Amino acid sequence: MNAPALNVTKTWVSRELTHDLQLFRAQFSPEGKHIAAAGVDKLVHVWETEGEQKKTFAGHKTWVSSLAFHPREKRLFTADYQGVIHCWNYTGGGKPLWTIPNADRDNVRALALTPDGKYLISAGDDTVIKVWQAANGKPVAKLEGHTECIFSLAVARDGRHFVSGDLLGSIRQWSTGAWKPVRELDAKILHTRLENFIADVGGVRSLAFSPDGKQLAAGGMKDAKSNAFCPGTPTVLIFDWANGKQKTELRIKGKSDGPFNALRYLDANTLAGHTEILHSGSELTFWKTHQPDPVHSVPNGSAYDLSLHPDGRQLLAASYVSGGASGNGAQKRHRENYPPNKTALKIFSLFEKPAEEKK
Amino acid sequence: MNTQPHPHACHSPEHGVSRRAMLGTVGGAVGFGSLMQPAVAEAIKKTEKRVCLIWLDGGISQYESWHPLPNSKYAGPFRNIKTSIPGVHFSELVPETAKIAHKISVIRTMETKDPNHSSGVPRIQRGDPIDRGVTYPYLGSAVAKLLGPANPELPPYIWIKPGNGGFLAKEGGFLGAQYGTLALGDGKPPIHIHRPEGVSAEVDAARNALRQKANERFKAYRGASEIDAYETSYDMARQLMARKDIFDDSKLDPKDAERYGTHPLGRHVLRARQLLEAGVRFVKVNSYHWDTHGDNFNMSQRLIPQVDRPFAALVNDLEERGMLDNTLVIVMSEFGRTPIINSRLGRDHWPDCWSIALAGCGIKRGAVVGETTKDGAWVESEGYDIGHLFHTIFTLLGINPRKTRYRFKGQKLAIAHDDCEPIKEVMQ
Repeated sequence: MNAPALNVTKTWVSRELTHDLQLFRAQFSPEGKHIAAAGVDKLVHVWETEGEQKKTFAGHKTWVSSLAFHPREKRLFTADYQGVIHCWNYTGGGKPLWTIPNADRDNVRALALTPDGKYLISAGDDTVIKVWQAANGKPVAKLEGHTECIFSLAVARDGRHFVSGDLLGSIRQWSTGAWKPVRELDAKILHTRLENFIADVGGVRSLAFSPDGKQLAAGGMKDAKSNAFCPGTPTVLIFDWANGKQKTELRIKGKSDGPFNALRYLDANTLAGHTEILHSGSELTFWKTHQPDPVHSVPNGSAYDLSLHPDGRQLLAASYVSGGASGNGAQKRHRENYPPNKTALKIFSLFEKPAEEKK
Repeated sequence: MNTQPHPHACHSPEHGVSRRAMLGTVGGAVGFGSLMQPAVAEAIKKTEKRVCLIWLDGGISQYESWHPLPNSKYAGPFRNIKTSIPGVHFSELVPETAKIAHKISVIRTMETKDPNHSSGVPRIQRGDPIDRGVTYPYLGSAVAKLLGPANPELPPYIWIKPGNGGFLAKEGGFLGAQYGTLALGDGKPPIHIHRPEGVSAEVDAARNALRQKANERFKAYRGASEIDAYETSYDMARQLMARKDIFDDSKLDPKDAERYGTHPLGRHVLRARQLLEAGVRFVKVNSYHWDTHGDNFNMSQRLIPQVDRPFAALVNDLEERGMLDNTLVIVMSEFGRTPIINSRLGRDHWPDCWSIALAGCGIKRGAVVGETTKDGAWVESEGYDIGHLFHTIFTLLGINPRKTRYRFKGQKLAIAHDDCEPIKEVMQ
């Protein structure tokens, strides 16, 4: 059966998996038969996409900050806020296959794999990118150059290069194999430090290469107004990969004031991104990358990750759902029932809803 | 406006001379400070009770500082670390305070009433007394009134804050403008603290006398409050003019900057130490932008170390100088932050169960007070309102909050909430 035509303006939620705590990361497995998600409960959850089976993997001692599937093997890599990386057999169970106990001084904020599956790349608070053998977690290289914490990684489709983005808006390109610095791209607009701030705000929160390798998208926010609420203007920068120059600055039409923490190309010129809610709203946004305004947006709870199903027609977002007790105290009315906020793992179908579904 | 007699306020020789009288004596005698006998200065340093209030405006998260609870469903991602008290853990974001935990007290069951900044800040800093239709003074103004200056040649209440400085009369509440605070913007002395080279001390004194005379004539026909505010601010500036040595950072050990931190809060707490050493009775140090509704964990990672280092350094330095037994250090906000993590990885306002840290001046060493529910969301033992803290502070300063009363327009007014008591678990 032919896949339905991509039509983001007709996006609809085709499935939801719920979880009673907040999950930040969620990815489809490369064959599309599993979803892995993780967050505040320290566990790694793996659902079957076409069944009811679910596995849970315990091993992290703090929040799980990032996860990535191996492109070919049944392996899942997860990392946490205390610098630990675990490798799991996600179709099996039990304990990690192996562990890197000190991949970072603190938070491993991003994981990525090279397309051939040979190398696992990690980056985070200590500003040093580490390259590991994906087979066994043995160290391969350390790459230094960033001066502030690294939020994001993305590997080019041809596997020859990867990029890393940091708090100060520096995007650095590195070669794979030789593991050398190549060049720096300027995304400083995504960082704000006003005179009255007591901390830097923003950063390159997300990176994505287009499938044809011609574009790099960098997400975050510009013009942060404080280091407390951290509101700003959600922004995505599109770079021409050939010359490293910025081509377009993408914006939203809605009122969201949080950064784009997640980006995914749907085809060579169609990009999806997701923001956070604070004062106003958050949304799943779609653009044609040659024009600043979105072609479509879907209001949705905050999300920090987006994953495209291998069929190219389903987009997964671990989406915030209120538990009903958020907000400023004094909340004694909630003393007997003060539930944390929750997650809906929403699968957005990126095509017109079939007639039978509409019924 | 008078207070009832108070032993500490009224019997010490310094307080036997009013600030105004002292200023009158000083007149244009710039440099009085340098004439003070070193032994007297040393005695002031070691015996007079003083307060440093480190105010983290917006609300520091208790989970990311003094009460981490890593197994709570509301815990953040940071590590628990051991402190110098066996069995007590703090967040990894306060490693320096963890080392001096045996010198401080932590109250983990503050339970206050106001979840809003605009009303909560004044409510907390005024001690939230029973409403008697008057505007109570902020804590610094109250202490300035009740104890007077620790060193008569210096203002009793100085506020170090980011941004601009100036004289802020309103903190004095019904005590009047003269009990307001002199704010030092970015910890710097008032501008024009240096007498212009072309103006001799004699000329300056004559100018000052003329100014005072003009003020007296003006006041004879008008309400005194604005003139009082103006005169007080002018006098305070002149006092600091005579003690510009306090602001001479070349005298500081270069290692101080490293120990306190070069960020504003570090520099400002270090300045507070200099002022406390010089004999300022009450120093408030403000840091803003702690209201981490958004990105709480990234921000806590960057903000909380900014109070950890200078707080620990200050406690250590006061102890080393023999001042800790007479100097109360308080680290607090208007409330804590919610157990629940919101839609933006932030924490909202939480007065229901939060933590503060205290040290010195009779605060018990190594006490961690209060039982909460296992998840840290609610007070399980006795909750302490700000009134309890005010009773504690006044008692530690030698002021009996049960017997001492303000008098205002014929009313006798309690200095702290009538229904509260000192928190004895944190008092030696």
